[in-house]
Amino acid sequence: MTKKLTAGLALAGLIVLFGLIGPLLTGDPATIRDIGLTSPGGDHLLGTTITGQDVLAQLTHATRGSLWIGLLVGVMATVLSGVFGIVGAYAGGVVDEVFSLFSNVMLVIPGLPLVIVVAGFVPADQRGTWTISLVLAITGWAAAARVLRAQTLSLRNRDYVAAARVSGEKTWRVICVEILPNLLPILASQFVFAVVLAILSEAGLSFLGLGAADSSTLGTMLYYAQNGFALQREAWWWFVPPGLIIAVFGGALSLINFSIDEIINPELRNKVKRRRDVVATTPVVAPADDAVLTVSDLNVVYRSATPVHAVKDVSLTLRRGEILGLAGESGCGKTTLAYAINRLHRPPAEVTSGSVVFDGADVLALSPEELREFRWVKLSMVFQGAMNSLNPVTPIRAQLQDVLRTHRPSMSSSDREDRCAEVLRLVGVDPARLGSFPHELSGGMRQRVMIAMALLLEPQVMIMDEPTTALDVLVQREILNEIKRLRDELRFAVVFITHDLPLLLELSDSIAVMRDGEVVEYASAEEIYLRPQHPYTRQLLASFPSLTGERGALIR
Amino acid sequence: MTALEVRDLTKTFHRHRAVDGVSFTLTAGRTVALVGASGSGKSTVARMIARLVRPTSGTISLTSDGAPVPQRAYRDHVQMIFQDPFASLNPFHTVEHHLARPLQLHGRSRDEVPHLLERVSLTPDLARRRPHELSGGQRQRVAIARALAPGAKVIVADEPVSMLDVSIRLGVLKLLDRLQREEDLAVLYITHDLATARHFSDEVLVMHQGRIVERGPSDDVLLRPEDPYTRRLAAAAPNPDTRFRLGGSS
Repeated sequence: MTKKLTAGLALAGLIVLFGLIGPLLTGDPATIRDIGLTSPGGDHLLGTTITGQDVLAQLTHATRGSLWIGLLVGVMATVLSGVFGIVGAYAGGVVDEVFSLFSNVMLVIPGLPLVIVVAGFVPADQRGTWTISLVLAITGWAAAARVLRAQTLSLRNRDYVAAARVSGEKTWRVICVEILPNLLPILASQFVFAVVLAILSEAGLSFLGLGAADSSTLGTMLYYAQNGFALQREAWWWFVPPGLIIAVFGGALSLINFSIDEIINPELRNKVKRRRDVVATTPVVAPADDAVLTVSDLNVVYRSATPVHAVKDVSLTLRRGEILGLAGESGCGKTTLAYAINRLHRPPAEVTSGSVVFDGADVLALSPEELREFRWVKLSMVFQGAMNSLNPVTPIRAQLQDVLRTHRPSMSSSDREDRCAEVLRLVGVDPARLGSFPHELSGGMRQRVMIAMALLLEPQVMIMDEPTTALDVLVQREILNEIKRLRDELRFAVVFITHDLPLLLELSDSIAVMRDGEVVEYASAEEIYLRPQHPYTRQLLASFPSLTGERGALIR
Repeated sequence: MTALEVRDLTKTFHRHRAVDGVSFTLTAGRTVALVGASGSGKSTVARMIARLVRPTSGTISLTSDGAPVPQRAYRDHVQMIFQDPFASLNPFHTVEHHLARPLQLHGRSRDEVPHLLERVSLTPDLARRRPHELSGGQRQRVAIARALAPGAKVIVADEPVSMLDVSIRLGVLKLLDRLQREEDLAVLYITHDLATARHFSDEVLVMHQGRIVERGPSDDVLLRPEDPYTRRLAAAAPNPDTRFRLGGSS
């Protein structure tokens, strides 16, 4: 439990106890005495009002009244938002349209003015606690319904909901047992929010004299304090305590809500300070003659509660024109390694030792300005989901030209246009598509555009992290052929990261097999294929059935 | 024995024919692989067979006469294994819930949960755990057990291993293969991976743009493809054998 949650629960709990037990311990709040406006002390711990009523007794009853209204409104608003948000979204179709339209209409109706109008319209003698609560609930549920609808829309398409339907569950059970529990954190936070809003709104209404006639709340207390000129008579003990309780209770519930948000979204919890890498740079090893990228004894650690050593003593050498395959399964550290080479790793990831030497320069020691010049210009990267990272609202041309405008400011606009057309041709996309928007291109085409973008500045090295995993085999084949051709024509080097070992065996010159952050085997593709040394390499090779070999045969 | 008969199945989304006149028969004790690239319509076929999507036209029935089947009987008979075991198990519920519910819905006792877990090579103490405490392979085994729970005779497996780590894929496929033989199940194995389709199925259907373009015994279709599309598909799959064994150069 976090400090926020503890503090919030303690404060809110104290106030609830005060409202529950207080009235039993204090006298009748309505008793009039002839000791008006006595200051705190003696028999009256919090003094008296202008008519001699005990402020403490009033405060306990008012707290209870406010809490009761908060609870009523919270429950009603949550039920309303649940019905309109969850049921509508799950049912879909016309029901969803109607429910959603209704929520939107309720959302744009300004809440407090409506409450004032409605409350003012109902005669004062019929304006009970229930009426006020109902009015507050009706004007307060719509925003929560929108949130629940969005979340339900996402949940109803989850496979576990489909699986429940396939196993024969009834609709109401799917909603109540499969979907609702996963909405609990959101429902809880919406409930807490509704309670805070109700208590504040009710206080406002009562202060204006539009509150419930049959109840005493913190708002009515303030109303009487105002009518009794408490401020002018400097009777602070009359209006400060109710105001303070409203503020503290609102604050406590907000703290609870923050904590619920942190439970829903764990990212909010890890506020790790960005720290400049302190790298114990090891002496730069003289690189092999044609080596363009040398990684020596690189270590990357995620400094979380339980530190994870994601990359352990990794050493790799990439020569000009070489395709280096990095093979490994999820969590083996291959992506972390790629990020660290490019210095794209973020806290809590940290390079603890080792060096990355690119063309004689120590990448880990580059200044931010040099780093900007290094990334994309000398070394570019293509990610797995890269095709989805194109900006959907601008045409391909603008996105390609942006790169040139940033890195080659002196280039003329016609040269830029030529260069963009040229790289598209390189990856096998018709330059006429420069004017297309990303959604007008297929997934394979978008991925090629990303590769074209990575080629724009003629980098010496390209790191590709699962660039074809999301594509189907035919498109993958075309892109692989493209990479081989470009390597032959432009002599650039490629680090190709994937779990697909058969693909690497076919494509790369050398292969590094990674497991648990370590390179367990590093050799030429032929060696790995014909004479695998490490048991894990053999296990990986034995995971792929052979397409053309004997039935039952594996690729090795 | 016919376990599932699919005839002239068609699904149209906004005038686009995702599935176009697909017919095939599933037989007890045999695995049929439905292969194709993404967007070929193979998943839509799976979802129609699981009665998650309503066909635009065509019939799916449990006998060769095409008679309609009531929902409960159909659910008893046909079950599905989903692609992503991280999405197909409800994070809120225990493994036990995932298996006990289908058992109860189909008139069985929840006491069978430990037995179900053993059938998919999991230990019964896993029943109390929640999905996030399991590995990907364990989750997919739970999903397989869930499909077995109602005593189904037809299993639709939609890319059951593509989201798993490579080193555990074969294990899950072998498990499916063993269960198919032990329980005499009819399995529809949907995949984009030609190599596993060839090794784990008796018959292969190749789907392209909503149609079945080639069908036949798996070795015939994948080693000696006749349809031009199937040929391109078979040639595109990464295959290191050609590079090192047959003296091909890189």
